[in-house]
Amino acid sequence: MRPRENPFRSDRLLSLRYRLQEGTWEGLLARFDALGRRAAIVGPQGTGKTTLLEDLAPRFRSAGDRVRELRLDEETPDYDPAVLESLTARDVILFDGAEQLGRFAWSSFERRSRAAGGLLITVHRPGRLPTLLETRTSPELLAGLVDQLLGASSGPIRPLAPELYEKHGGNLREALRDLYDRMSIP
Amino acid sequence: MSKLHLELADSKTKYRPGEAVEGVAFWELDAPPTSVEVRLFWRTQGKGTVDVEVVQSLPGGTGQNDRKPFRFVLPAGPYSVSGTLISIVWGVELVAEPSGQSVSTDLTVSPTREEVRLVKVDEK
Repeated sequence: MRPRENPFRSDRLLSLRYRLQEGTWEGLLARFDALGRRAAIVGPQGTGKTTLLEDLAPRFRSAGDRVRELRLDEETPDYDPAVLESLTARDVILFDGAEQLGRFAWSSFERRSRAAGGLLITVHRPGRLPTLLETRTSPELLAGLVDQLLGASSGPIRPLAPELYEKHGGNLREALRDLYDRMSIP
Repeated sequence: MSKLHLELADSKTKYRPGEAVEGVAFWELDAPPTSVEVRLFWRTQGKGTVDVEVVQSLPGGTGQNDRKPFRFVLPAGPYSVSGTLISIVWGVELVAEPSGQSVSTDLTVSPTREEVRLVKVDEK
């Protein structure tokens, strides 16, 4: 199978949207307001934190907020100070990978971001801001994603979901990359 | 509902490097765009980060309903390729902003006008 034909290739995984396991998007935004519009999405790697943040961005824009996006990872451990310039109450900062900042850098960032109307971060462990939502995965969720990616031809692959879920410790990104490898075997 | 359409000359989708990709882009949009553009690009597909490179672009103006002939001369590379981990796929795309609506057509570019297949070489 050619990479461009593989149903588990990267661009198809990037097209997957976050599935709220309970509640509604409106309820989630209301909870964000109730938390003072400064909160965290908490969860292990590969559980959808980045996807959830991406899916909230257009919802904030539709509500009239101006979204500033910031993403840190191991390759990009520092941020452009411009993201904190000229902040107003209309601005919501969506900060993916906030734990890349050490304690003092985080303290400085948190203080300088207070001029913004909102701050939503992603972290692996709770503590830096009140928890808006904890991302959780399940074998059933993985099976559902397989159904979405394969459609009617998911039959032979779907039963692998529990095994892959356990193998990768609930990390759906790694489980789906594993399926890419399995599909690419001639 | 907005309509965007790309029509390639002779419905041709396979080319050699240096050849010209010609066609016409048509669009009927629900609202006036801030920009419309026809782009020649290649992208990677497979496992890992998606890379995209827009090689050439042609502005289509800001007309809500319009058509734009285009002609792009293909560069020397990269070729359309499929290995184990990635494919390189060429394409022509019509994009309208600010809606971001788009339509694209995949192309094959290589000296043989067929996709180059990379095979695994066993190490000795």
